[in-house]
Amino acid sequence: MDVEQFSQYVSWFTYILIFARTAVRAVRRPLRANVDIALLFSSTTIIIALSVAGRLHLLPTEGWWPTVSLIITLTLLFALPYLLLRLVDDFSNVPTWLMRGAEVIFGLTFIVLVVLSGRLPVWLLSSLLLYSAGLLVYSTVAFWRESRKSTGVTRRRLVAVAWGSIFLCTLFTLFVLTAALPQFALLWRYLTDGATLASGIGFFLGFAPPVFLRRAWQEPELRAFLGRAASLPRLPDTASILLELEKGTRSSVGAPHASIGLWDPEKQTLNFGSVGTLMEMKVSEDSIAGRAFLTQRPAFTDNIEKDIPSAAPLALKYGARALLAAPITAGDRRLGVLVAYAPRAPIFADEDLELVKLLADQAAVILESRALIDEAARVQAREEVARLKEDFLSAAAHDLKTPLTVLVAQAQFLERRATRNPEAPADPKGIQRIVQETQRLRDLVLELLDASRAEQGMLVGHVEEVDLVALAQEVCARHATGRHPCAVEADEHVTGRYDEVRITQLLENLVENAIKYSPEGGSVLVRVWREGERNYLSVTDEGIGIPSADIPRLFERFHRGTNVNDRKFSGMGLGLFICRGIAEQHGGRIAATSEPGKGSTFQVVLPVEPAVGKEDGRTRGMDNLTREQFTVQTTTSGGGVVPQTPLVMSDGGTHAGTRPNPGH
Amino acid sequence: MPERGPILVIDDEPEILSTVATILEFEGYEVEQAANGAEGLDCIERNRPSLVLLDMRMPVLNGWDFARILKEKGVHLPIIVMTAAQDARQWAREVGASGYIAKPFDVDDLLTTVGELVGA
Repeated sequence: MDVEQFSQYVSWFTYILIFARTAVRAVRRPLRANVDIALLFSSTTIIIALSVAGRLHLLPTEGWWPTVSLIITLTLLFALPYLLLRLVDDFSNVPTWLMRGAEVIFGLTFIVLVVLSGRLPVWLLSSLLLYSAGLLVYSTVAFWRESRKSTGVTRRRLVAVAWGSIFLCTLFTLFVLTAALPQFALLWRYLTDGATLASGIGFFLGFAPPVFLRRAWQEPELRAFLGRAASLPRLPDTASILLELEKGTRSSVGAPHASIGLWDPEKQTLNFGSVGTLMEMKVSEDSIAGRAFLTQRPAFTDNIEKDIPSAAPLALKYGARALLAAPITAGDRRLGVLVAYAPRAPIFADEDLELVKLLADQAAVILESRALIDEAARVQAREEVARLKEDFLSAAAHDLKTPLTVLVAQAQFLERRATRNPEAPADPKGIQRIVQETQRLRDLVLELLDASRAEQGMLVGHVEEVDLVALAQEVCARHATGRHPCAVEADEHVTGRYDEVRITQLLENLVENAIKYSPEGGSVLVRVWREGERNYLSVTDEGIGIPSADIPRLFERFHRGTNVNDRKFSGMGLGLFICRGIAEQHGGRIAATSEPGKGSTFQVVLPVEPAVGKEDGRTRGMDNLTREQFTVQTTTSGGGVVPQTPLVMSDGGTHAGTRPNPGH
Repeated sequence: MPERGPILVIDDEPEILSTVATILEFEGYEVEQAANGAEGLDCIERNRPSLVLLDMRMPVLNGWDFARILKEKGVHLPIIVMTAAQDARQWAREVGASGYIAKPFDVDDLLTTVGELVGA
């Protein structure tokens, strides 16, 4: 066997191998693209079979058979460019005139072949071969362009197919040259053999690549995806993770759209969020996603209108005709489903489906990691709450036990003293100590009870018309001392329907805090004004201020400033929590701004007419109180407006802005 | 009265400090008062007490540090831990105290404990 023969055998073997593989695939998955590929290679196989049979003298050389054999061979040869064009049409839009024209020319060729018994004049044969070469150039360009648009295995397979097509084109050109320049017959033969082999290898790699090659081709895309995936669970929320996963799927699969549906076990729905609007989908066989989820196996359609007409309108709305879906499952936990949408059927659907499956598996790992991180955060939060409670209990125990210790000891001492010497004069110092500690104990117990009421939303009792200006003046007068002057700046009439006792308590608390945390001589300014349907109260001090890190948690239970000396400023850290309860249960809000070392401003806004619902003890007035309408204005001693620092609302949100000057 | 040092009471709560002092003085003890561990050490320098009533959680110098410094100085004094915390017993053991009083305490208990150690 010489080299020429060997190369021919290899070519034949290659083509027959491709035929076998593509035929099996077409039978197993009869998609249009698969069937077209199988048709293309059954043609080459028949051509090869006839040629082999001829050489081995298996067929009669006399009578009608050689003519029929020639007609079949030439017909199939001219069918090749047309079948390849059909394949191109499977994934891109071949102009209708070209498709129809190719069909008509193929039909006419067959008729002419039959009429002329396969013996075409050289000019006609050459023209047909050149025309075929032209079609093949068109297909080559189409495959090449499609490969640029694709990624992963599909891209590399399309490149191989493009090479196969260009060598097939060369082959047809060589046939023409053989006829036109017979003096170089030997050269043409070698080149023909080479082109046949090259095109065979190109088609083999493109249409029937071995598994190891597909894995190798898939690796770069997967590696890129995995590289990004490692950081995904740390994204701030699940929604951002899903968006990134969908983005990764789009770029890895080369699909214009991808979306993840998360399984909601309570509602028994798959919830999609990123393609268009939020969508809850009942799981059924009537959708590709549903099929993938129910069967726990990848599902695919290249024509949604034909396969699932009921789901078609929605898919077509997003320009998707082909859908690939794979279940996202971690162990036995079904998390959801990953769907990739394409406007046309992908030429190598199996490849893409395999990739979607791998991506879905990766998504499962990422979502599970996220769930674990969330769980860890929840545990940490629970521990934090437990720790705060423990701290609080120990602080409360200490705070309650101190006055109690003095009370018990002092009372027992007085008794002891009286028993020993009934005639002894009264001990005014001891009695005063008892009275003082009783008050201290009472205040602590009331604070605890109020905190408990605040938590249950039961702070607000009897509501009546309250004059906030008069109230502010009273509170100020009560607390002002020589060392801490307290001034009120107020509009003329600021009234509203409130629980007077609680609003007084709120103001007392704020003014007491202002004084408590101010160095000697620090003055306190209480401002009262009205804007539209809202009343504002603010208390500004020149005290030690609040570190910005403490502000977000200022109004939480048990929280005390980190710059607060526990011993110097006693208190259980419930005062501001109660203040917040009073403001919110009147339908208002409380907020604070501060500059450490310079002072703080606490501002309360209350609706003029809070909808205090006595039925459940709560108010419902703050729904229409937007954050934009509520900002704190800090004033300097000169009365000008200072630049705003971000304001923390009692619900933890932030807002920066400036309230119009009320004109004081 | 036999020659013996005063009782040193260390507590950062002034009301508790003066109440305890009043009670002990009424029973005839000489009492020194200190608002924290550091003040307590100063008192010991001046006038060595026969007993220390020690609060544990205090600013400046807490009860643990006070006891440790005393030990480092080689000063051996009976100490009674006086605390509102649950762990009074444990803390007393930690600082090598001779006894403890849990706040709020009964005056009788206070006087009994002190009496046992000072020998009233």
